[in-house]
Amino acid sequence: MELVGRSHEGRGSGDVAKHELSQDIKTHFRVCRFIIETGVKLRMRSMPVATACALYHKFFESADLPAYEPYLVAMAAIYLAGKVEEQHLRARDIINVCHRYFKPGCEPLELDGKFWELRDSVVHCELLILRKLNFQVSFIHPHKYLLHYLLSVRGLLNRHACARTPITETAWALLKDSYHGPVCVRHRPQHLALSVLYLAMNSYGVELPAGEAEWWQVLCEDVTKAEIDAIVSELMELYNMEARCT
Amino acid sequence: MDRDLLRQSLSYHGQSLFSLLRSEQIENPDFNSIAADLSKSVPQRDAPGGTSIVEQFVARKADLLFSPSWKSTSIVQYELQEETSEPYAVMPPLEQFMEVPEQERKDLFYRDVERGDVIIGRITSIREFGFFVALICTGGGLERDVEDLELTALCPIREVPSTRSHDDPLSYYQIGDLIRAGVKDVDRYQEKITISLHLSSLCPSMGKTKLGVISKEDLPLHYSRGASDCCESYEKILESSLGFSNPTNVDVLLVKLGIDETLSPSLMRGLQKKHFLEEDFADNIRKKQSASWALKCVKTGVDHFKAGRHVEAMNEYNKALEIDTNNVEALVARGALYATKGSLVKAIDDFELALETCPSHRNAKKYLCQTLVERGGQLEEEKKLVTAEGLYKKALTLDDSFREAEDALRKLQMHIQKTLKLREQEMAKEQEKAKTVETSAEKLRKILKEEKRMKRKRRRSSSSSSSSSSSDATSSSSSRQKSKKKKHKRRHSSHSHKKRQRRVSSHGYRSDEEDAEESYPAPANTSASFINQKHAVAQLFEDERSQGMSKSSGSFCASSAAEVLEDSRGRFEDDPFECSPCPAEPGKAKDRHGDKERVAHSDHRKSDTPHMVCKKRVSSTSESSAHRRYSSSSAGSEYSHKSETQSRDIHSQGMSSHRWSDADKKESRDSRRSEGNGHRSCNDYSQKSRRFSEGGQKKELPSNLVDIFSQIAQFEKEKSTKQKK
Repeated sequence: MELVGRSHEGRGSGDVAKHELSQDIKTHFRVCRFIIETGVKLRMRSMPVATACALYHKFFESADLPAYEPYLVAMAAIYLAGKVEEQHLRARDIINVCHRYFKPGCEPLELDGKFWELRDSVVHCELLILRKLNFQVSFIHPHKYLLHYLLSVRGLLNRHACARTPITETAWALLKDSYHGPVCVRHRPQHLALSVLYLAMNSYGVELPAGEAEWWQVLCEDVTKAEIDAIVSELMELYNMEARCT
Repeated sequence: MDRDLLRQSLSYHGQSLFSLLRSEQIENPDFNSIAADLSKSVPQRDAPGGTSIVEQFVARKADLLFSPSWKSTSIVQYELQEETSEPYAVMPPLEQFMEVPEQERKDLFYRDVERGDVIIGRITSIREFGFFVALICTGGGLERDVEDLELTALCPIREVPSTRSHDDPLSYYQIGDLIRAGVKDVDRYQEKITISLHLSSLCPSMGKTKLGVISKEDLPLHYSRGASDCCESYEKILESSLGFSNPTNVDVLLVKLGIDETLSPSLMRGLQKKHFLEEDFADNIRKKQSASWALKCVKTGVDHFKAGRHVEAMNEYNKALEIDTNNVEALVARGALYATKGSLVKAIDDFELALETCPSHRNAKKYLCQTLVERGGQLEEEKKLVTAEGLYKKALTLDDSFREAEDALRKLQMHIQKTLKLREQEMAKEQEKAKTVETSAEKLRKILKEEKRMKRKRRRSSSSSSSSSSSDATSSSSSRQKSKKKKHKRRHSSHSHKKRQRRVSSHGYRSDEEDAEESYPAPANTSASFINQKHAVAQLFEDERSQGMSKSSGSFCASSAAEVLEDSRGRFEDDPFECSPCPAEPGKAKDRHGDKERVAHSDHRKSDTPHMVCKKRVSSTSESSAHRRYSSSSAGSEYSHKSETQSRDIHSQGMSSHRWSDADKKESRDSRRSEGNGHRSCNDYSQKSRRFSEGGQKKELPSNLVDIFSQIAQFEKEKSTKQKK
């Protein structure tokens, strides 16, 4: 696959499993970064990008990295996610952006055999993803939960204080960044939304009035503090990984 | 960095955060400047619960989290919720679920309620100074349920809008009514709220709220939802709300919360907006790619074009334009192809479109100039001179140095100027003969009626030619009497006797119709100026037509046409077209047409192609024995003045020709022949004349001009004698 530039780099043979694991994690991180970047360049909304990442993570839950080309899977995931989330993208655009990602500053592809081959591989990979996931490709994302939680929490705050504190943006950014890792598919969407909101509020030191129950407990009854902490630490880990991977 | 935010965060987290911040943000100049400030306000305690990870995160991302640009720029305005539609799930206030203690809720309420908020309550008592309302909940943006807080608000009487029907506005209200009002004033310390029923008390965004008495259905959703199921969990209520299942609720809420997706906020270093280059975006790449793909198609198209395969070339160009609409090269190439094929209008459209996209395209400009000039030429032939002028000017604005455009424009402008001048002259003269026109018209009517009668008689008799010729002779003679001078002038002209005769006949025709000695400037001008100015005659005829002749002349023309065919003077009543298909004299008509044409040719010897075109048209029509067309075209000419003159000439010539033919077909034959010989320059003409001469009856033709003149004089005499009768 000509597009592959970097996926196989740094793969030593016979390394320790842990090393391999972290290597895989790094790869996945990079590919997810690739997906999110492509999403920005394709002007995708948050939901389709989230779907694409979720598809990718779910795919590689059961698949091995050496067997499948991760970047191709990523491209196909983007293509499929656009269809699922009703923001239809054209394969030509995806190929153009990805081609430029690997070869920055180069000329756009010509309409020749190579282009059609690329397109064919994307389409075939899309079908592969579908089959691998048993055609269950619609996800419930934490986005709408987060937005509703934000509304409710904002209702408790003084409107001016709320306007000053960018909890909304931070929470949204945190949620989008969480898709770099498999945390997005390993937890319930409500929990992820809640954790993200908790982290955002915590960062700014915003305090909500205390009642019989904690606000986050109210918003989602089956979440525990431990779980929130676990998710928060996973999110933090993702940020740390950024320094190591890119 | 936002100092207040930092302070808030620090006060929450304590010293540990501060120290972390200092270590992480050591390079950040913003932080360093306010670090000193902050150190004073940091509490010396640690944050509740192990939040070291969070602190680490905050410290690392402080420059992003606390940057002023991170805040949402739009301060979200509270808007009235439309209770009918629920784009997202409206939830009861969170404090309700959290079971915040009363006092705290009260404090919160007083902290948060502001002037301009909408509040809903129930009237508890009505006094003479106003009424008291027990607050139930807030409406609009601030969602609080305060029913159990037992708060009261006062609505003073002045805040109650007066209803006309009642003397006392308060009598409209009763205890127990649900009231929606706007908060006018809040006194936090004394816990007094003043409300108002005037819309002015609300903020502008809430302008649509209805204040006053409301019904239970109007209660806000967050209240009714909260009140009905107090045992339900937040989650259950959320998931059972209709708005929650709305697929687009995310987009709606993003707008409501003020998050801009296009900014793609992220806390990852690599995903910051500044790292994305504009040219890496999909649409920009696509544009470039489409342009290059289209260019390939254009190239193959040009190859086809050069090889002569126009169809394939057009296909390639269209393909290129499908790939990339408004591709400049494709448009220019297609325009060139259209121009070559002759569809000049389409070519012009393509060039203009190309120039819109790329105003400095050299080829497009060049081709456009050329095509405009060509099109101008076409329009000139069609007599649309003003449009043609516009096109030439346009071509010149595009390219100042374009020789052809300048020449064509100058020529055209001269042409138009002459037209205008002559028209002015006509106007002036028209004023003079205004009086005479009417009287002449009356006279003419009488004459024509007589003629009609005579014609009918003649028709029955087979020898129509003689009588008509006699009538013609009379007319011509009478005219001749009045225009001897002009005849002389005409004689001087070397062109042809035909011309003079035509002049005579036309003159005579006119003079019969109008006794004015001066008659129309046409004859006066045509004799001399006719030779020099090619369009003078056209002008004159056109002028005549347009002015006085419009009424009478129109009919004159018609009548002339009729006369031509009827071998008699025209009848006003007759429709020229009816006359045309006169079966009795098809041959004559043909001859006449040929004559007309011929004379027309002779008249405008110096004229260029337009005349030729006209003549060709004329000849073709006559040849095809489409008399009707011919006469119609001549009679009701829709051409510009050139063609009008043409028709004019034809009319007069027709008159003359018919006279000639009536009088002596041989003569006409001869004249035709001589004309044909004389004007070898006009090939078509000569061909046609020859054709006519061949097609027509072959008789011996007198070659003596003087003979013809004498005959004309004879006719005129006879005519005048007849008239006298």
